[in-house]
Amino acid sequence: MPAKDYDVLIIGSGASGGMAAYNLTKKGIKCLLLDAGPLVDFEKNRILRPVYELPYRGFGKPGKLPHLFQANEFNANQWVDEKEVPYTHDPKQPFNWVRVRMIGGKSLFWARMSFRLSDFEFKAKDHDGFGENWPISHADLSPYYDQVEPIFRVAGRKEGLAQLPDGIFIEDNSPDSAATKRFADSAKTRGITVTKMRRALGNGQFASSMNLLLPDAMATGNLTMVPNAVVRDVTVDKNTGLANGANFLDRHSRREVHVKARVVIVGASCLESTRILLNSKIANSSGVLGHYLHDQFYMSNSVVATIPEVRDGKGGRGLVGGGGYIPRFRNLDKTKPEKNFLRGYALDFSTGGTPDAKYFPQWGEELQKTLDSHRGTSFSCTLMGEVLPRFENHVRINKDVVDAWGIPVLHFQAKYGDNEFQMAKDAVQTIGEVCHGAGFEVLNRNDKMFPPGYSIHELGTCRMGDNPKTSVLNKWNQTHDIKNLFVVDGSSFVTGGSQNPTMTILALSMRATDHLAEQMRAGSL
Amino acid sequence: MKRRRFVQSLIAAPATAPLMVAQDSARPTPVPVVQAAPKLETGIADDAGNTTPHFFTPPQLAALRKLSDIILPSINGAPGATDATAAEFLDFLIGQSLEDRQKLYRSGLDQLNTQAAKKFAKPFAELETPQAETLLSPLRASWTYDPPADAFARFLREAKQDIRTATMNSREWVAAAGATGGRRGGGVGLYWYPLD
Repeated sequence: MPAKDYDVLIIGSGASGGMAAYNLTKKGIKCLLLDAGPLVDFEKNRILRPVYELPYRGFGKPGKLPHLFQANEFNANQWVDEKEVPYTHDPKQPFNWVRVRMIGGKSLFWARMSFRLSDFEFKAKDHDGFGENWPISHADLSPYYDQVEPIFRVAGRKEGLAQLPDGIFIEDNSPDSAATKRFADSAKTRGITVTKMRRALGNGQFASSMNLLLPDAMATGNLTMVPNAVVRDVTVDKNTGLANGANFLDRHSRREVHVKARVVIVGASCLESTRILLNSKIANSSGVLGHYLHDQFYMSNSVVATIPEVRDGKGGRGLVGGGGYIPRFRNLDKTKPEKNFLRGYALDFSTGGTPDAKYFPQWGEELQKTLDSHRGTSFSCTLMGEVLPRFENHVRINKDVVDAWGIPVLHFQAKYGDNEFQMAKDAVQTIGEVCHGAGFEVLNRNDKMFPPGYSIHELGTCRMGDNPKTSVLNKWNQTHDIKNLFVVDGSSFVTGGSQNPTMTILALSMRATDHLAEQMRAGSL
Repeated sequence: MKRRRFVQSLIAAPATAPLMVAQDSARPTPVPVVQAAPKLETGIADDAGNTTPHFFTPPQLAALRKLSDIILPSINGAPGATDATAAEFLDFLIGQSLEDRQKLYRSGLDQLNTQAAKKFAKPFAELETPQAETLLSPLRASWTYDPPADAFARFLREAKQDIRTATMNSREWVAAAGATGGRRGGGVGLYWYPLD
């Protein structure tokens, strides 16, 4: 059978690739979507099991996933096996690359925290002089956020904050517990705003491309989806210089297949997309492909405290429980830089759990009594800090190491700098003070970071910009070098802020594919 | 011979079952020849026997048993680390672990025995609990993200966490917590099978 020519080839089925398929197929464009992983039947692939039935009693097999702090023995098989798809780094500069290869990608497992970027990010250089501005502003992307938020059913409360633009929310009017109110009041005295969390409700079980985007795309009859297709490279017509398809290997048999398309969209996640382009040796006339790697540094339990008045089982209804979100509050006034670092950080917090036993310097019956007394009294927060995009933080191809399909792997060279370290110190100090102000007793403060990558928010390695000499993509996520090649995932970010990036990735992909469809209709592609 | 006849009946079943239905549709629907496999209740290895220790030396394992009983004893009738065979499980787990962790445990347990001999002229396992607890003073330090520089303190910190996890994730603990309506530790989770 002769190979079929598709209008558009989409590589990757997560948030970005899924949105590309959703948007293009609705416009009547014939798409082929490839994903390196299988289509998983969640009913068949998961089972409720007691922890004592697991071979390692919940500890997990030692050494199986050394970089995945999120992994446990229950979920170990959902992540990419580092032996099957390895990567390299200097042992002194680890990077925790967390990957999922399934139809739906990481959108199957994300925390669903759903925020917009603001012009503090889009126009960051104008604000503090560092780095580059995005070639777009919040006003350019806002109409797309407006469409994405209802699809994902984002719940939240409108606050009117410039640094965290409001969206189209399912209004969250749930009452806050007394402990949360007290924390918010203490924060307010320091000029810090506490908001409700903004979270994608999806359809309950999932808020993923698999259930919210791909079914609609399939229903159009315009989508062909092929799982287990491990893309090695994008191919280019030597005569025209245009992308004309891709080579992939069947995940099971390793059989090599070439597919053809008029347009190629790469949305395989920031670093897999970058790896494909680097292995294809295309779209890099600027020399910045793979550079400016950044994420958001995450510090779980950066401040852990207890709420004294609810100890010994006194935590009645409405006194404790729930949580909230603290959007960036540092360096918002560009006329008054207030700290020894640029940009800022956000935090989410929760109340009502039980502090981990490790925080109490006790053992035996004494420890058990303490834990019993502290049940349901915990405050804990996760710090999410902006990481500055720097040229020197990058990935490149390591030709000496290949994955299970013979494809050269990535080598990482990335580390956090003084700006991030100072930011973390300030956050832990400040939130500790807010806790004290609220009458909480601080058990532990931690300003030590996990290695880069832990947040699973890798960004920036195919960044967009108006200047082809300093960016890979133009403002439509279209490569400067090859006009029918688009990259629609987080690699296109110029700066990441401290907000979770998924809503922005979805909005960018929708915007890019609107533009692409218009160009195809006009005959320019 | 019996086995062969059984296998032959399975092979024949898909072909013959539809044929029988076609012969007389007025007859009651026959019971399908091939049925779903019955769901049989099975146990786990810990139901059948005890872990055979291989990794630690007998003095090291004896010290780990004593340490486990001190870190998480049976309290108010709830199972403790000894009931959950935490020490024997950790012998298995540490034996599978990376070399650094193995070394930390071995040297830490040796250190317990050395200090016990020096201070009380007995191995750690034979000390009275108040005596043994005098050797655990590094556990009185506040927890920090960076592990302690001192290897013995580092061992005690890891062992405390591991003993508690091995106990609270044991069948004994989970069963007792379930029986009392408690929610501490262990429990049930969504397990992912390896992907095809």
